Amino acid sequence: MSVAYLARRAAQKQKVRLLYRRALKDTLNWAVHRHLFYEDADELRKKFEANKDVEDLDTIDRMIATGEATYDKWRHPDPYIVPWAPGGTKFCRNPVPPAGIEIVYDYGREDNG
Amino acid sequence: MAGIVRRAVLGHMRAPVVQKSLSLHGSKKLLHNPIFFRSMSSHGDDHLTKQEVIDRVLSVIKDFPKVDPSKVTADVHFQKDLGLDSLDNVELVMALEEEFKLEIPDLEADKIDSCKVAIEYIYNHPMAG
Repeated sequence: MSVAYLARRAAQKQKVRLLYRRALKDTLNWAVHRHLFYEDADELRKKFEANKDVEDLDTIDRMIATGEATYDKWRHPDPYIVPWAPGGTKFCRNPVPPAGIEIVYDYGREDNG
Repeated sequence: MAGIVRRAVLGHMRAPVVQKSLSLHGSKKLLHNPIFFRSMSSHGDDHLTKQEVIDRVLSVIKDFPKVDPSKVTADVHFQKDLGLDSLDNVELVMALEEEFKLEIPDLEADKIDSCKVAIEYIYNHPMAG
């Protein structure tokens, strides 16, 4: 078990985890109703579990590449993003006003009064 | 303490209230009901207390189907103590994201490995709902 092998495996494992996370979120975007989402999530999990024991680095790389291609193909055009996050509906809606600006409450009184 | 009571009361009362009928007992009940506590706050105004974060995180983990609820404490490591898979870890982080209405960036979410890290992250997140 050389260091380079382990480093590559660790990088691959991270890629797999990120791919699984994105794919799961996408599944939730497509299957909005919870019972449908649970079924689809189970199927996704089975696909990942089927390839769990592969040891060969190149095969794993190829499988990750196919997985990412499938993910790109199935991406939802309008994903649910939390409102305050970039891409959400509330993002930048009420930005903090720059410092130094203040509202003068003179209620329409004229200056020469 | 007074601030929390005042916030809960203001969040609940709409009509002018006769002072005599306002009892501390009634408003304390509101504190336990999570719906009334933040009914008029826009997202991000209220910050969760640490204990609330811990309680909610633990309840999410206990409800996870692959976890044995009796083993869950505030110090568990997901993969070492609870025997979860790395994919299960991903699912658990997603469940926590949904519970607290957060959007955790992918690389940060990858680092959330144990209960303690999760609680720290959520507590320090400004937009934790």
